[in-house]
Amino acid sequence: MSSMSRPNRSAGNRRGSAGAVAQPSPWLPVGMLIVVLLPLLLMPLAAVFIFAFRGGVGAFIAALLIPDAQFALRFSLLIAFATAFLNGLIGTFAAYVLSRYRFPGERPLNIVVNLPVAIPTVVVGTSLLLLWGPIGLLGRWLDPLGLQPMFTPFGVLLAHLFVTFPYMLSTIKPLLDELETTYEEAAYTIGASRWQTFWYVTLPALRGGIFTGALLTFAHSLGEFGATVLVSGNLRLRTQTAPLYIFAQFEAGNIAAANAVAAVLAALSFVIFFFLLRYTGNGR
Amino acid sequence: MGVSKRVEINALYGGLMSIVLDQLIRWYGNQAIVDQVSLEVADGELFVLLGASGSGKSTVLRLIAGLIQPDAGRIVVHGRDVTAVPPQQRNMGFVFQNYSIFRHMTVAQNIEFGLKIRKVLASERARRRDELLDLVGLVGLGNRYAHQLSGGQQQRVALARALAYEPKVLLLDEPFGALDVKIRAQLRRTLKEIQRRLQITAILVTHDQEEAFELADRIGVIERGKLLEVGAPETLYAYPRTAFTATFLGTATVLVGRVDDGHACFGSLQLPLPLDSTIDYEDGDRVQILVRPEQVVLSITEPKTHVPVIGRGTIVEQSFAGDRRRLRLRLPHLPGVRQIAPVAPFGEEGLLVDTVVPTDVPLAGEAIWVSLRAWHMLKPPPRRLLLYDPAANTSVTPVLTRWLAEKLDATVTVLGIAATNEGIDPVGTMLQRYLDAADLPAELHLRVGDAEQHIITEQTESLYDLLVLGCGESTSTVATGQAPDVRMIERIARGAITPILLVKGSRTQLTRILICTAAGEPGKNDVRTGGRLARRFGAMVTILHVSHPVRGVSLLANAHLERAAATLRALDVTNTIQIYPSSTPAEGILHVAGTGDYDLIVIGNHGPITPALFGGSDVTRQVITHAPCSVLIVPDDAL
Amino acid sequence: MKYVTLAPYLRNVIPLTLLSTLALYALWPWLPFTREAIAPRTIVFYGFSILGSVMEQAIFPAFQAQWYAQTGEQVEFISSFAGSGTITNQIVMGVPAELALLSLELDALRLSEAGVIDAESWHDLPERGVVNRTPFVILVRPGNPKAIHDFADLTRPGIGVVHPDPLTSGGANWAIVAEYGAGARADPDRPEAGYDLLLGIWRNVVAQAASARSARTQFENGFGDALITYEQEALYDQARGRLQAEIIYPQRTILSEHTLVVIERHTALAQRELIAAFVQFLWSEPAQRLFVEYGYRSVYEELNRANPQFGAIHDPFMIDDFGGWPQAKRDIVEGIWKDRVLQELEQ
Repeated sequence: MSSMSRPNRSAGNRRGSAGAVAQPSPWLPVGMLIVVLLPLLLMPLAAVFIFAFRGGVGAFIAALLIPDAQFALRFSLLIAFATAFLNGLIGTFAAYVLSRYRFPGERPLNIVVNLPVAIPTVVVGTSLLLLWGPIGLLGRWLDPLGLQPMFTPFGVLLAHLFVTFPYMLSTIKPLLDELETTYEEAAYTIGASRWQTFWYVTLPALRGGIFTGALLTFAHSLGEFGATVLVSGNLRLRTQTAPLYIFAQFEAGNIAAANAVAAVLAALSFVIFFFLLRYTGNGR
Repeated sequence: MGVSKRVEINALYGGLMSIVLDQLIRWYGNQAIVDQVSLEVADGELFVLLGASGSGKSTVLRLIAGLIQPDAGRIVVHGRDVTAVPPQQRNMGFVFQNYSIFRHMTVAQNIEFGLKIRKVLASERARRRDELLDLVGLVGLGNRYAHQLSGGQQQRVALARALAYEPKVLLLDEPFGALDVKIRAQLRRTLKEIQRRLQITAILVTHDQEEAFELADRIGVIERGKLLEVGAPETLYAYPRTAFTATFLGTATVLVGRVDDGHACFGSLQLPLPLDSTIDYEDGDRVQILVRPEQVVLSITEPKTHVPVIGRGTIVEQSFAGDRRRLRLRLPHLPGVRQIAPVAPFGEEGLLVDTVVPTDVPLAGEAIWVSLRAWHMLKPPPRRLLLYDPAANTSVTPVLTRWLAEKLDATVTVLGIAATNEGIDPVGTMLQRYLDAADLPAELHLRVGDAEQHIITEQTESLYDLLVLGCGESTSTVATGQAPDVRMIERIARGAITPILLVKGSRTQLTRILICTAAGEPGKNDVRTGGRLARRFGAMVTILHVSHPVRGVSLLANAHLERAAATLRALDVTNTIQIYPSSTPAEGILHVAGTGDYDLIVIGNHGPITPALFGGSDVTRQVITHAPCSVLIVPDDAL
Repeated sequence: MKYVTLAPYLRNVIPLTLLSTLALYALWPWLPFTREAIAPRTIVFYGFSILGSVMEQAIFPAFQAQWYAQTGEQVEFISSFAGSGTITNQIVMGVPAELALLSLELDALRLSEAGVIDAESWHDLPERGVVNRTPFVILVRPGNPKAIHDFADLTRPGIGVVHPDPLTSGGANWAIVAEYGAGARADPDRPEAGYDLLLGIWRNVVAQAASARSARTQFENGFGDALITYEQEALYDQARGRLQAEIIYPQRTILSEHTLVVIERHTALAQRELIAAFVQFLWSEPAQRLFVEYGYRSVYEELNRANPQFGAIHDPFMIDDFGGWPQAKRDIVEGIWKDRVLQELEQ
């Protein structure tokens, strides 16, 4: 027995680092993970770029310069900016109220504001149509007045506000919950009014969270499809967002045109994701 | 109008007080977390509010700062009533335990924040900031952020920030609680220095008595929302009035004895009562003694006769504290003495005494004599009655209890027992209604389970002077406990050191008392306890002796009756002696009680172990069972 | 862990610059100094899927040029192309379409039932609203490896057919009538001939797409051996050298007819003249020639000779041969395909 164990032990010592518990090589599980991720995530993403540039850079740029593509990208960006801005305001306000005030019905309200995460976006689109559309609950009264938010940029904005609402809230509320009330109380005793306290003390403490939340909202808005396709009417040069454009072009067989825009969207998402990582990762 | 009000308040408080709290109350649910707190803090004083966590001390501070509003009472600062003034306009500095340094601002910005809000010019702000950085010892760190500072440094910033706008009052809420010991000591010194130099009025909240001693001009001890005592640190340490203060401020041995014959008695140890004209000590009253560790004298040899000796004990615990050694000794139990501090572990029967000796004193292995060099009598606690009335019949028991509470100047605790957890609320409601109906103010204790067990526990855990058991017929729909039958009463009485009053009959006042010396060995306690109560009640007493129908009254009994009469006379109680021949004492007692229109029969509980001539406990049992009126059972052990 | 080190001030500058660049780009066309002085007039046009290319590339530009020449006004077309059923649903839900070119009359009927347009208002248009036609043909893989020559060959076991979904696609409805009609007309004495052919083909359907156009995309992506589709689509690709398939002309097949509707209630008064002009233009000879050029068969038979690619069909038939769409829908699509073929296939 002892003669057997000796060479084993010395081999083990040589392999493992001094004193550390022998750790199995990481390459097998890492390799397995990559094998799983490759067809699942990495290759589809690569395919978008490969197809986008298959006709050469010239064709890629030409495809991007089609007025419809330009409009779709711009429109998507504008909607994303507006959504991020408005939900930045509403979400911060909602987080502040939900975190700082205790009231009956607080728990149900907390669930309601987070509901959009769980609701399929198609259902969001349908429900907006059934409320604001010409045959909808409110829409049937508004329609005769010439007010019709659906199938207009405003309708798209409504859908995006709905779908992305929880992202702002869920990044800011934990920060606020964690931010002890003593900070605000300190400001009060120092002499700052409620508003000054919010402006000089609370808001700056949430800065990172607001930025992160806005980026998340922006990214989700940029990629929103399910609700948009229903409420936009998919009108080129009017309400066609980039994802709708991609889908329409893909359906029409213009794979190159679809892929060019898809590649731009993907690239934008990468950039946003990069900043998200930097901001959340560095924990400001 | 503002002027006249100011004058009035200044006149009221002499204009000397920086902060005046007047009957502050703050409710949390139906519990007062700040309960009628009144306090005056002088100009330039450093006042420390000392209390355990949850005692309400921080709430008081937040009330002063205006971060929360009192439900009643007033806060006056420098003669101005600020009760309704928002925190922003109170001009107070507040330092939090968690520092609360604004993390996105530099140290300098933090300090300047209050000045910026007040629109002070940048140059003036800079000047003031540099001054403060110098004051708190952070010169050169103005551009740092909170995360680049240690906890101690952050708290220095918080202090500077709170002082920047020259507030009239500085409030500190456990400011050193999150710091390690060394830094804490440094910061205490810094704070004390700054406070002295600026002559600013400061209130500091802490749970740490050492910190309080070191910093305070005066200390206020707060417990359950009530400000118990206020005084200079040394006064409070040496001469506290309450057991709570005594134990909270440092190590303490607190024992409860009884007044006997003009002395405070702790078993065999007799100590003179303090010459305090405000307290009227009566024989039988409870008396609490505080002994600080340094007041205990240990000796191997027996001390001289005039030295007050507690007894001989052995060391059960010791801890090394550098220059000192803390000791805990166990001594034999002293009869009639109960221990409040140190808290004895469950099952401990001996007496524990805490003391301290210099480290270089060798410790002997054998029993050590424990005597006292000095001691302090605490203010006698109010008398307490424990009422258990499962029948909850409102006609007699609560009315009698109210009468008792008034006569004895006692507070009442009512015990309600529910069979199950679900039963707690109905029982509580029921008893509250019961108390309201009799207009009896009382504290409710609600328990689940076995009544007998809870009564015994309640008695042992708290100090009651009288246990009142209602034996009336139940008229209520909700049972608030098991009805006390004879066996249960016997079992309760067996371990009791408290007299037990069984309420029977319909009398709601006790003015005719029959003290029975039925058994051949009439207890001294029966007469004393009965006599003291009679004096309080202003009642007339008959001392009854049931004599043997053939042998008559023995010489011993005769002598004893004489002594009893003398005792009662000494107590200033009108009394007569009645001798009634009967072959069974119980029958005799019951006959006399029935014909003599008595309100109360006082009887000794001699227990089954006493070989009484006519069958000891059997008498008690029969009297309990058949008495037409209330019965007071006096335990042997009671003083 | 510092994989990227940036000077501290760059930490904020870079994202801010990026954001403002994006914002500037997004807002560019709407900025005061980039905006065109006069907003162009617009026509909101919805079309069924395969119309996309001919409208956007040929018809719209031609009309824009003509209108500009006539009036000096710019016209902008706001358009959306999807399955005929889909756009019909959207119009019912309220999208602000002014004109819709539907792939079958049934969808026009649905619009009138929903009260969006007046009943049969399209019959007042030229050619009863039919703008152009195209026969249904079979597309097979290059070299026709499965030797498919007519609808009957699609019933052979082992053949995979890609077919659009009749629920959302107008083309699918046409295809079903084409398949049924081909069977029935080949053997007029046997009542079940049409049903048998239809059942045979549907046994082999391997993919159903939402629109004719997406069925094409699926086929091009490698699904199935045969696709039943509009001749126009195949010709359009063939003309551009993109067709990676062969067109098989069945002996007997239907000529689909595409119906234009004007949704008057979405048409402002000021728009009427412009819309009317565009409607007129669609039936004008230049427009019809453009349709022919893009592979549609004109409603004017003589123009069809201009396109030599049009294949010969032995026995072409029309929907009127089955009593018009309402009856054909009831008898063939519902009565035979849905109630009998699908039932049979489910078992």
